[in-house]
Amino acid sequence: MVSRWMYTSLVILYCFLLGPFVIIFMASFGANATMAFPPQGFTLDWFANVFETSQFIDSFWISLQLALLSTIVSLIMGMPVAYALVRFQFTGSGLVETVFSAPILVPGLVIGFAMLNFFVLLGDMQVMTGLFIGHTAILFPYSVRVISASLRNLDPYVEDAAVSLGARRLRGFLLVVLPNMQAGIAAAFVLGFITSFNNVPVSLFLSGPGVTTLPVSMLSYLEYYFDPTIAALSTLLVAFTVVLVQSAERLLGLSQFV
Amino acid sequence: MPHLEIRNLTVSYEKNRPTLEQFSLGVEQGELVSLLGPSGCGKTTTLRSVAGFIQPDAGQILINGRDYTQLPPNRRDIGLVFQSYALFPHLTVFNNVAFGLRMRRIPKGEISERVTTALKMVGLEAFANRRPAQLSGGQQQRVALARATVIEPQVLLLDEPLSNLDARLRVDMRQEIRRLQQQLGITTLYVTHDQVEAMSISDRVVVMNQGEIEQIGAPERIFAAPETAFVADFMGFDNRFKAAVVSARTDKLQLHWGGDAIELRWRSRSGSPQPGARAEIFFRADNASLAAGPDALGLAGQVILHTFHGNELRYLVETEVGEFSILQDSAGQRFEPGAAVKVQPQPQKWIAIFEETGQ
Amino acid sequence: MSRRPNQTRTIVLLVSPAFIFVLVFFVLPLMFLLSQSVLPADGGFTLTGYVDFFQSRVSRIVYLRTLRLGLIVTGICVLMSYPAAFVLARMPARRRSFLMSLVILPLMTNAVARTFAWLIILGRRGMVNQTLLSLELVENPVRFIFTETAIVLGLTQLFLPLMVLPLVSAMENIPDDVLEAARSLGANRLITFARIVVPLSSDGLVLGATLVFTGSVTAFVTPAILGGSRLLLMSTLLRQEAVILFDQQAAAVVAVVMISTTLAVNLLLRFLRVRQV
Repeated sequence: MVSRWMYTSLVILYCFLLGPFVIIFMASFGANATMAFPPQGFTLDWFANVFETSQFIDSFWISLQLALLSTIVSLIMGMPVAYALVRFQFTGSGLVETVFSAPILVPGLVIGFAMLNFFVLLGDMQVMTGLFIGHTAILFPYSVRVISASLRNLDPYVEDAAVSLGARRLRGFLLVVLPNMQAGIAAAFVLGFITSFNNVPVSLFLSGPGVTTLPVSMLSYLEYYFDPTIAALSTLLVAFTVVLVQSAERLLGLSQFV
Repeated sequence: MPHLEIRNLTVSYEKNRPTLEQFSLGVEQGELVSLLGPSGCGKTTTLRSVAGFIQPDAGQILINGRDYTQLPPNRRDIGLVFQSYALFPHLTVFNNVAFGLRMRRIPKGEISERVTTALKMVGLEAFANRRPAQLSGGQQQRVALARATVIEPQVLLLDEPLSNLDARLRVDMRQEIRRLQQQLGITTLYVTHDQVEAMSISDRVVVMNQGEIEQIGAPERIFAAPETAFVADFMGFDNRFKAAVVSARTDKLQLHWGGDAIELRWRSRSGSPQPGARAEIFFRADNASLAAGPDALGLAGQVILHTFHGNELRYLVETEVGEFSILQDSAGQRFEPGAAVKVQPQPQKWIAIFEETGQ
Repeated sequence: MSRRPNQTRTIVLLVSPAFIFVLVFFVLPLMFLLSQSVLPADGGFTLTGYVDFFQSRVSRIVYLRTLRLGLIVTGICVLMSYPAAFVLARMPARRRSFLMSLVILPLMTNAVARTFAWLIILGRRGMVNQTLLSLELVENPVRFIFTETAIVLGLTQLFLPLMVLPLVSAMENIPDDVLEAARSLGANRLITFARIVVPLSSDGLVLGATLVFTGSVTAFVTPAILGGSRLLLMSTLLRQEAVILFDQQAAAVVAVVMISTTLAVNLLLRFLRVRQV
């Protein structure tokens, strides 16, 4: 069934998907500052420049904290929702599902803008709090979906089995359900972390003086400078992501949840 | 007093649609009783009510005379074997079996002793450190059995325990469950939709339909003498037809078969048959025979086709009262499709079921 | 699962923390945004914001351009993904899972980094221009940045995985037997593909199209870098109204139009998906 022209299309697809990464990688080691291609010479100056630019270092820590915090909170609150949706049939479950998938349907830029107007301008909220709320809200759909998927893979009767053997409901959940959800939770964590860490649209409006996420600060750097520093930083981020995603894929089979 | 007693159990999932209506049953100490019926008949609901996972709307569950109805499932002291086995995927076989003992805070040394004994009984002592995913279906079933029995429960409940196994394994496991149950002398309730399974394993069988009991009795009795059309159908009486009653006595009735009159035992839950009334007649494929020739007696019919089953041939015969499926020794005389034959009854093995409302 | 006493209480307990969070921190700000678009600062209720939006030539052009580019990007993604997804779906599981992780990789990298590559490729002294100049096809560098082509390329690269993934998972579920059955009944490869594979994977196609289209019409980074203020899309227009022109009502109107568009597309395509079943 698979014919040669289909393989050709596969090659084109991968060139298009991955080619830009090869170009960024090459540019980040090139010696000329004006981004001519192909790059001339070899230098690590642009990597040094990344670490010397305080804007990047500061925003990296902000992004890291933000991603960790909002991922954890969205997991802690999303897990019970996933459990309720998978284990019970109840009136209103449709509404609950809609509400928790809504943050995916609304454009991130609009979410950020709405939150800026409501919380920061109207409610005088701290910049970091606003970012945290925005990121947590957009992560719910991922947490709920991934955890639901991992719960569905577990025989619902194992809980009843634990109870019939003498465990109370909560104890049965902790001893029998939770250990079997580890992979799902870890997958949801990786996915949530990456989603938050890379987010631009929600953060764009909510970032404030001194509090900027890494992708937003990359974007604003681009407005003033056009040199391979961004390429070097991108290379570092891609390497970071590859390590994270590949280890998650190997450990947990991440792709089944995406 | 029965060891396990279910009194007037009523469970409705939706309003006005009872799954179980006033269901009562007693199981003696050490007895194995099967609940047999098609899906949706209420057998699993009964089992889960006994286990405590369903709160009944009315009625009581008593074990040893003590009322269990309000007790939460984790304090019932009941061993439960699930259709899916519901083994804990993250725990080893040993820890699966030890789970219930740990919940009961049994000392460590005793746990390991009892788990080892239980695993020996099901022949899995060599597999103690495996995970469920590394076991075959039959082995998983044994772990589930060991896990449910190691806690020495008052009552053992099995919910379609063999439905996920292939046919040959099912026969072996059936014997193994029965042996274990008798060895432990444990009062057992066994849910199944497979009549052969229920027959072979039980002391008594309860045939259920739409939340009510159709018939209770020893397997032999239910097999030979169904009391309702539903039970007859469910017990594998291949052929059924309606016939007018010629005359009736206390336990036998007469009807026409070809040029003759035959006499059958009759069953009824409502009224007794009067001449002229219609009764429903059931018989198995091997309880009739075929003959040909001008002198042969019986109901005239024509062979439509036959299929070969080793020692037997199964004929499909068309008669004026209906199509019948009839088994004949394949070594005997053969009738080809189109042949005119006579169907000869074995009336002592046929059943007439008379229901006044069914007319 | 079984019916249990106090089930309602359990469900409420499980769902309410997150539910309240989403209501207060997500739904409420959006309601406020909606009110901003119809309630001007000096009081009253007015739809002038919307009238202005659709009467203004600039915003009309921007809106239509956004939709048009979204459609083009979706179309290109479908064409590029369909045969490739089929190859992926028919592969042995191990090779497929490796290749799929390569599809996911771009999705897990931030949009700024991914869009930046196009500046290198399409820039004045970028790859394409160098090639064209050295082949003497052009005399002066061609301007690619700040063109629709650049935006389409950037968005396609960005959202291609969102088309490939659902297509592959839909095609994985088509048994080999079905394809062989079609071939044995006399269908050639192309007909089998068109009459069997395409209908059976239409669910994945519709889902992928929804994701790519809504992603394209709401993306910010790519149009900001490759289009700038010279070639505005809805997202960059929203940013301009809010931050540069400081017209909150106009910005709110743009935001509401964006939400309505994505919701409408989602509902329409979901309806399509339901009807096929």
